[in-house]
Amino acid sequence: MRNFWKAQVISMLDELKTLCGINGISGDEVTVADYICSQLDGIAEYKKDNLGSIIAFKKGRRTSGKRVMVSAHMDEVGMIVTYINADGTLKISPVGGIDPRAVFGRRVEIGKNRICGVIGGKAVHNLTAEERKKSAPFEAMTVDVGTDSREETSKLVSPGDSVCFSSQFTEFGDGLLASKAIDDRAGCAVMLKLIRDELEYDTYFTFVVQEEIGLRGSACAAYAVNPDAALVLEATTAADVPSASEEKRVCALKKGPVVSFMDRHTIYDKELYDLAFKTAEELDIPCQTKSMVAGGNDAGAIHVSHGGVRTAAISLPCRYLHTPYCVIAYEDLENSYLLAKKFIDRIHER
Amino acid sequence: MMDTVEILSRLTDACGVSGSERQAAKAAAGLLKEYGEVKVCPVTGTVFCKAGSFDEARPTILLDAHIDEIGMIVTYITDEGFLKAAACGGIDGRALLAQRVTVYGRERLTGIVVSTPPHLEKDNTAAVSVDDIYIDVGMPKERAEKLIRPGDRALIETGLNRLCGGRVTSKALDNRAGAAVVLKTLELIKNRKTAFNVCAMLSAQEETGERGAKTGAYTVNADMAVVIDVSFAKTYGEQEENCGVLGGGPMIGIAPSLSSAMSRRMIDIAKEKGIPYQLEVMSGTTGTNADAIGVSRSGVMTVTVSVPEKHMHTPAEIVDIADIENSAALIAEFLESAGDINA
Repeated sequence: MRNFWKAQVISMLDELKTLCGINGISGDEVTVADYICSQLDGIAEYKKDNLGSIIAFKKGRRTSGKRVMVSAHMDEVGMIVTYINADGTLKISPVGGIDPRAVFGRRVEIGKNRICGVIGGKAVHNLTAEERKKSAPFEAMTVDVGTDSREETSKLVSPGDSVCFSSQFTEFGDGLLASKAIDDRAGCAVMLKLIRDELEYDTYFTFVVQEEIGLRGSACAAYAVNPDAALVLEATTAADVPSASEEKRVCALKKGPVVSFMDRHTIYDKELYDLAFKTAEELDIPCQTKSMVAGGNDAGAIHVSHGGVRTAAISLPCRYLHTPYCVIAYEDLENSYLLAKKFIDRIHER
Repeated sequence: MMDTVEILSRLTDACGVSGSERQAAKAAAGLLKEYGEVKVCPVTGTVFCKAGSFDEARPTILLDAHIDEIGMIVTYITDEGFLKAAACGGIDGRALLAQRVTVYGRERLTGIVVSTPPHLEKDNTAAVSVDDIYIDVGMPKERAEKLIRPGDRALIETGLNRLCGGRVTSKALDNRAGAAVVLKTLELIKNRKTAFNVCAMLSAQEETGERGAKTGAYTVNADMAVVIDVSFAKTYGEQEENCGVLGGGPMIGIAPSLSSAMSRRMIDIAKEKGIPYQLEVMSGTTGTNADAIGVSRSGVMTVTVSVPEKHMHTPAEIVDIADIENSAALIAEFLESAGDINA
């Protein structure tokens, strides 16, 4: 009964907001996983693997005889405490690819107890002429939690603790959303909605760990599922901003889900690539491709699993990826869901 | 009287980008009216409060803290609906990209500062300044133009949050911390006898060149002034000889441009009353409103009392509540001591 209501009530927007509010950098995804498991209880079979990824199986109306795996990653980029300085401040290193220019002056949450800290360094007035010419590298930053000594800080924080951006989920402009961790909680939100729906065919859904540090969770999940075909649900860089020239904009918001032909980790299956566009046409929803060979996602690990897996990716165009304020258009999220739902059927029917 | 964190929270919540201080001034005026008649200058936006009774026979002392904060001013809307902006004050360019901003247009709008993916930039280690950035308000030009005009202010809004111990982080602690010191001082001298006519002034446009202090000091026509602002607390990587210490107490200014008699009196009082303090020695002018106030009309004896602060001019400024309270205690004791500073 409980899950009947869940299926009815939770909108993808609320789901995304909840998911983005959870802290889970690579290697520390357990809180995200716990939430997702709580949503899967009673509506899908699932287990957690040794790395912490969730492998779920949702029964459809029938079976196609093919094993199709849909995958999204649970981890987000962030930082990790590497050292506590004598003055009580923390040294940090990035976990995943973070532009250091989007880090200075941020509020962060540290560890399980979400201790509040701020990232800073020398006051701008006190920089040398040489330092003024450059943006602040990670080495020049520390996290201040309000203490004066290593001893005081050690009571609250330990080396190895996760550091997450503190970010408010915001709806703004004409149907845009901004938050940390949209990469790839958006994929997780789409998958949860797909699982709540009634499906045509039996399908595997994997919520994987450690994408941001090298596509690690997906490699193991794909090995375990051993799929015939796979679909990765992701967020990808949209550089549709004035500071990028037109040929370098990769993809754009509100032009629909992004289906890639090639990125830095994968040359995608041509048949599935064409099938995705055909499906979008059939549904009469916009669909675009990436105009640059850039980025990469779990497809890179999945498509070389076992003896090779036909793989496609549907990505959400996302501005300011890997920052505390990733920006997407809600309509792209809805269209990604619609495309994924139909495309999964088409993959089964191939 | 509200506790200091609550006062600070009210003051930092309000927008007060230089030249557009109305909201912050209003928040401050609401708190000031408990201590005397409040006036807001219709030309400059500076807030004045005469605390208690005025007596011609006594010297008049001005307690100044600037109410404005650093921020941005919209200069242009691009064909794609992105905003260009200029800096109001010395905003730290290291803390701009992918920040969430509030644009104070016809209505409050949210924007995100554009952060170009590093692999698409020629030099992604170069310093960023406000002139380089775009603000994404998520709408086409036609709609943006209806809601936003050049001249509107934009601000990175980070609300007040507690850190460990008595420390807090927020935007605009420079100089709402100073404004809080003024309020706490007036509370301490309420119903007590002072040696001065006390006029509090929360001045506009310090960050763009001490302009509110210049006009405000003329208006008040004081004999002496105490200028309360923030100053540098040592942060990791900085030299201890160049900075104060967070939590180390008010930083009493000593400089050729300041009244050495007032500096000395402040130090004596701190020692006598057991109030922790630090010295901030400057070799010329001070970079605060004291520079403008000191040369107002035929000259004003001036001293600075600064609240140590980390990460100045970022959205992640930090102050210690104890420093605010000790600054107020020090200034209140000063006001109660004899008015003849040279005695």
